[in-house]
Amino acid sequence: MALEPFKESTPLTMGVELELQLVSFSDYDLTASSPDLLHLLAQKPFPGHVTPEITESMIEINSDVHTRHSELLAQLHEVRDTLVQAGEKLNIGICGGGTHPFQKWVDRRIFEKPRFKEVSSLYGYLAKQFTVFGQHVHIGTGNGDNALFLLHSLSRYLPHFIALSASSPFVQGGDTLFNSARLNSVFAFPMSGRAPFTLSWDEFANGYFAKMEHTGVIKSMKDFYWDLRPKPEYGTIELRVCDTPLTVERAAALASYLQALCAYLLDRKEEAPAEDDYLVYNYNRFQACRFGLDGTVVHPKTYESLSLREDILTTLRRMDPYAEKLGGSAALNHLMQVTHMGSDAQYLRDQFAASGSVEGIVDAAVQRFRGRR
Amino acid sequence: MPDFLVISADLAWPLAVLLAWLAGEFIHRYTRLPRISVYGLVGFVCAQAFPDLFATEAGSPVAVMANVAFGLILFELGYRVNLNWLRVNPWVAVSGLAESFATFGIVYLIASLWGMDTMPSLLLASLAMSTSPAGVLRVINEQRSSGQATERLLHLVALNCVLAVLTFKVIVGFWVFNTSGSLTQAISLSAIELVSSALLGAVCGMLVPAVLRRLGNLAREGTLAFALVVVILVAITHAYDLSPVLATLAFGLTARHRRVAFTRTQRNFGAIGELLMILLFVFAVSTLDWNNVVNGGMLAFVLLIARFAVKTAGVAAFSQLSGIPWRKGVATGMALAPMSVFVVLLLEQTKNSGVVFIDELAAVAAMTVFMEVLGPIITQRSLIWARETTKEE
Repeated sequence: MALEPFKESTPLTMGVELELQLVSFSDYDLTASSPDLLHLLAQKPFPGHVTPEITESMIEINSDVHTRHSELLAQLHEVRDTLVQAGEKLNIGICGGGTHPFQKWVDRRIFEKPRFKEVSSLYGYLAKQFTVFGQHVHIGTGNGDNALFLLHSLSRYLPHFIALSASSPFVQGGDTLFNSARLNSVFAFPMSGRAPFTLSWDEFANGYFAKMEHTGVIKSMKDFYWDLRPKPEYGTIELRVCDTPLTVERAAALASYLQALCAYLLDRKEEAPAEDDYLVYNYNRFQACRFGLDGTVVHPKTYESLSLREDILTTLRRMDPYAEKLGGSAALNHLMQVTHMGSDAQYLRDQFAASGSVEGIVDAAVQRFRGRR
Repeated sequence: MPDFLVISADLAWPLAVLLAWLAGEFIHRYTRLPRISVYGLVGFVCAQAFPDLFATEAGSPVAVMANVAFGLILFELGYRVNLNWLRVNPWVAVSGLAESFATFGIVYLIASLWGMDTMPSLLLASLAMSTSPAGVLRVINEQRSSGQATERLLHLVALNCVLAVLTFKVIVGFWVFNTSGSLTQAISLSAIELVSSALLGAVCGMLVPAVLRRLGNLAREGTLAFALVVVILVAITHAYDLSPVLATLAFGLTARHRRVAFTRTQRNFGAIGELLMILLFVFAVSTLDWNNVVNGGMLAFVLLIARFAVKTAGVAAFSQLSGIPWRKGVATGMALAPMSVFVVLLLEQTKNSGVVFIDELAAVAAMTVFMEVLGPIITQRSLIWARETTKEE
């Protein structure tokens, strides 16, 4: 079956998906409660969409399509409040964070859905280890060629999103020394990493995709776990490197930052993307995951070493006029604060130091998601 | 030459525990039945085959160890209960109160109609309200079960235990007053005992987390510290005729809500906890007399069915209101089946105070034996039916 045509979309519209953790208030471990929570949420209208994820300790929520930061944030607030209320009724804590700090993958249960069962039988324990929590951001691109142009142009900015959203320093009860350990779990999948370099949708769909489909390795775009992937059925590109932040405010801010960056890139003021940009891609990605805002990245065109924090600040300033036009200035201000105050990963490490336990981290994350800290 | 019988008596308990463990492992491997059902069966068979070897005095080391094992379970239960949930979603508490008191009513009614005297009927009814945390918690941990049925089950078990102990002690107080005429003795056997036990546990629940907090390195110290304090609590309650059930449960509850830091205890208190648990389940049925089981068998059968139906209906009735589907409500109610270990230890402890009921309550012996084996199996099947257990993928 050939790849479906790229749907026409309004450029620079945005939508957000958040994978969230379901935590037991008994012991702060993950709880296999998504069927119960989804049952309860189905009783009333939900301000967005909520769907199950691969293991029963996760859910995914999706926003509608928005053009402005304030609208997106308002909806995410509504979604959060509805979730928190339902969670309280069932004694379930709900929180962000890219990983649960001490859950054991072996205790996870795969959600009863054919696709999840298929993934589980193909990937074995990797499927349960995929109990990690990310934020995906969709940006409308207008057409397929624009999508591929944006996708490859954004590769240079990917470390920004990793560092700003990083919230997964702990795995299996220990500090990994990474700010985003979640992305290491994604890397284990054979179809992860970066998309092949082409700027033409025709070439991508009829060349690369058709060949891959012929090999029998993939059936649809869903089988690719790329950091950035085109989503022809929505007419968007999807950024997948962000950890789920601890607050919906940060989630909305990250989406608006990506929106402003896309607006800027579509102005074609930067040198066009090239295959060689990917020479430093994995290194930069590693730096952002490992050191977060304190990382050092290499500019793909000039090979100059840059402080990631400085690079983000410079870019945020350059995005100001675009954000203003799109109504996203507050979002950029929020992210500016993050570069000064530290990321969620830093916050979680502080909580560990203050409470002395990994359970204390989860409690803090649950409270923070509610907007109480 | 050493006396063969003396050696046998010394060896009897360790051998029974070993046999129970082996049987539990083998039968669980081939049938997936809960191990604890097998422990109870082995205990009952051993005690009937060699009644002299397994006769235990109140306060014997085996009885004390069984109480410690039960104390650990009650602490673990209390430590997992979130009282705030019962405030946010009061329907969970309402369903617990409804099924407990409806069980009390129906059991009292049936026992009276069967021709039992008022006092034994009341005692029987109060014991039937209870659900044994030992059976339930062991099955939950063994099945690695999680979800709403599991979560509610834990909270309902705690509620049932507290209600059953309170009701039982009040009735015992009346019994003592009726037979001795001494109000002081009656009050000291009920009200004072209940309040002091709960207070003792609560004080420990405040002190231990505070001390742990000062020690630091909580993940490692938590389990050991809590276990040690449970042992001490059981010893104190034994020495002063207080209720170990209330003390250890209150300890767990307070420790959970007063914790300055959030530490988990190891499930089942690790390998030593497992060992004590086998002993507990073997011990529980070894105290029962086969004649009582036979005499009370028919009534027990009727009562068990009534208790099972009322508890299931009581929880299921409030399932939709409390936010879960019918199926999960029914499963939760069914999973409340176990009651044996709780009942035995409550009666044993009352025996310490010089009040002996077990002969009047022949039906209790029969109920205990049935439920020691069947209870955990019903809980296990209910949790599987509620789709809350871990399956092999």
